[in-house]
Amino acid sequence: MPLIALHELTKRYPGGVVALDGLTLDLEPGIIGLVGANGAGKSTLIKILLGLLAPTSGGASVMDRDVATQGLEIRQFVGYMPEHDCLPPDVSATDFVGHMARMSGLPGDAARERTAEVLRHVGLHEERYRAIGGYSTGMRQRVKLAQALVHDPRLLLLDEPTNGLDPAGREEMLALVERTGTEFGIAVIVASHLLGEIEQVSDFLVAIDAGQLLRAAPLADFTERTGVLAVEVEEGQERLQAALIRRGLDAAVDGRTVLVPLHDDRPYDVVRDEIVGLDLALVRMEQRRKGLEDLFRDEVTA
Amino acid sequence: MNQAGVSGPGGNIYDLGYQSYGGPRLGRRAASGALFRTALRACYGIGRGGRAKIVPIALGVLVLLPAIVAIGISALAAQAPGGGGAFLEEASPVRFSTYQGLILILVMLFAAAQGPELFGRDQRYGVLPLYFSRVLTRTDYALAKTGGLWVALLLLMLVPQLLLLIGRIFVAPDPLTGFQREIGTVPQFLAQSVLAAGLLGSLTALVASNTPRRAYATAIIIALFIIPPMVVGLIGNLVGQDPARLLVLFSPGDILDGTNAWIYGSIPDSPIVASLDLPGPVYLAAAVVGITGATVLTVRRYLTIRV
Repeated sequence: MPLIALHELTKRYPGGVVALDGLTLDLEPGIIGLVGANGAGKSTLIKILLGLLAPTSGGASVMDRDVATQGLEIRQFVGYMPEHDCLPPDVSATDFVGHMARMSGLPGDAARERTAEVLRHVGLHEERYRAIGGYSTGMRQRVKLAQALVHDPRLLLLDEPTNGLDPAGREEMLALVERTGTEFGIAVIVASHLLGEIEQVSDFLVAIDAGQLLRAAPLADFTERTGVLAVEVEEGQERLQAALIRRGLDAAVDGRTVLVPLHDDRPYDVVRDEIVGLDLALVRMEQRRKGLEDLFRDEVTA
Repeated sequence: MNQAGVSGPGGNIYDLGYQSYGGPRLGRRAASGALFRTALRACYGIGRGGRAKIVPIALGVLVLLPAIVAIGISALAAQAPGGGGAFLEEASPVRFSTYQGLILILVMLFAAAQGPELFGRDQRYGVLPLYFSRVLTRTDYALAKTGGLWVALLLLMLVPQLLLLIGRIFVAPDPLTGFQREIGTVPQFLAQSVLAAGLLGSLTALVASNTPRRAYATAIIIALFIIPPMVVGLIGNLVGQDPARLLVLFSPGDILDGTNAWIYGSIPDSPIVASLDLPGPVYLAAAVVGITGATVLTVRRYLTIRV
């Protein structure tokens, strides 16, 4: 039984905007990164999984329960951290998170205990008794995460959890997300338009673009080695290229780097010999890895 | 976050790791009940900042004043010699049949002050997605909030009348006779207070849920309660009674005046309502339609709001 199953999931907003376009996908528990540009359909997908939005056609199930008919059951075991601000300023974090625990069906005393525990986990200490209105963005994001965790969900849906955070805040939030997925044993779906962040915490990636599935695979598959050897030299790139072509390698120059197709080990020796022969200063020589960016390169240039 | 422990002035707090929750999950009804109680408390400023308590406390004291005055008059009447006491009782402006008329404006102000905060806050600060992604439905949310406001308004009307009831029983020369004399009014003021709280609460909920901006919502609610009786009076005096008979059924204050007069068999406070001479059940029907219609529209608002 997959954690999440999507079948031909389509969402068309009034006005004709297609946010999701026939998405079919099975996801297993883990830390799943949901990547895509702004407007790719990430938030729409999360909201459909929560039952906040109804799909136009197709279906989705979470923990083997249909989002259209068993939303309440699903929501008992799902935590949601929205992208936008969602905190009233005039209550304390303790009161707010405790209230949200009650709204998830926890009894009063359990709600209080869980609130204290989960606020400690996200790193809110004395300040949790102060009104949220005086919190920094980093503290607010922690409260948002805490309210999503307070009822001990089996699945956590995080929409742009590092929104508005400074670099240090981002690192802390990502560390918290990673901890939640690994130590707490809670499945996490984290949506972000920032590839670097997703790469840092996820073990499985789902890339969507314009509502369509670009690719869904373990993180390692996205960054697999490519069949290209990159040779960076201080100077003389053209001379090296010419020499390599003479030796029968289809070399190309890319800035300070000379790129050589790699089908077997032979190019390593040839490159070494030619660099020595031309007396060039070698900076580095490595097999290129595919970057996550390659996935979206078309849009970035467009 | 420091995983090993946090050092503080009083020693070290060790992180015991994440504890999962194996206790009961009470689900939808418990969540709705908790929201209802929170809404009720919030109407009185409980669980909110100090400034949020000013309006409910001030209005809460004001609605009690007529009851206290009336008990004072009754106490004087009980000690007055001969027929003076009965005369004093007769002359007292504060009775169960007039109580609503004395405090209705305060109840309206309470609704206009507290309703917008109760409904607008979650919309203004984007909290709705957090509620709707939990174990209660959108309808549960709307009804729990509206119910909290209903009960808050009901208590605001019932408490002074209960005080008046107890006071009148105990200032009577013989409390048992006093009890027998007064107990008949309980179903009357109970029914009238339920209608008034229901109608004012439902209309307040409808306006406030559609008007997240607090100041606008308060202004619209006050206008909704204050302006229609004036319009009814003007139309009745200038145009004629027939259009006024129709319009009066869209005026919350006049509807409640009509049901009050019907329930107690008294004369309506408003001269125009008195002169229209509509049968009591018409006002009752208007109140029930108003309560039901406004509540249905409030629920619909939350069913269709995009989060």
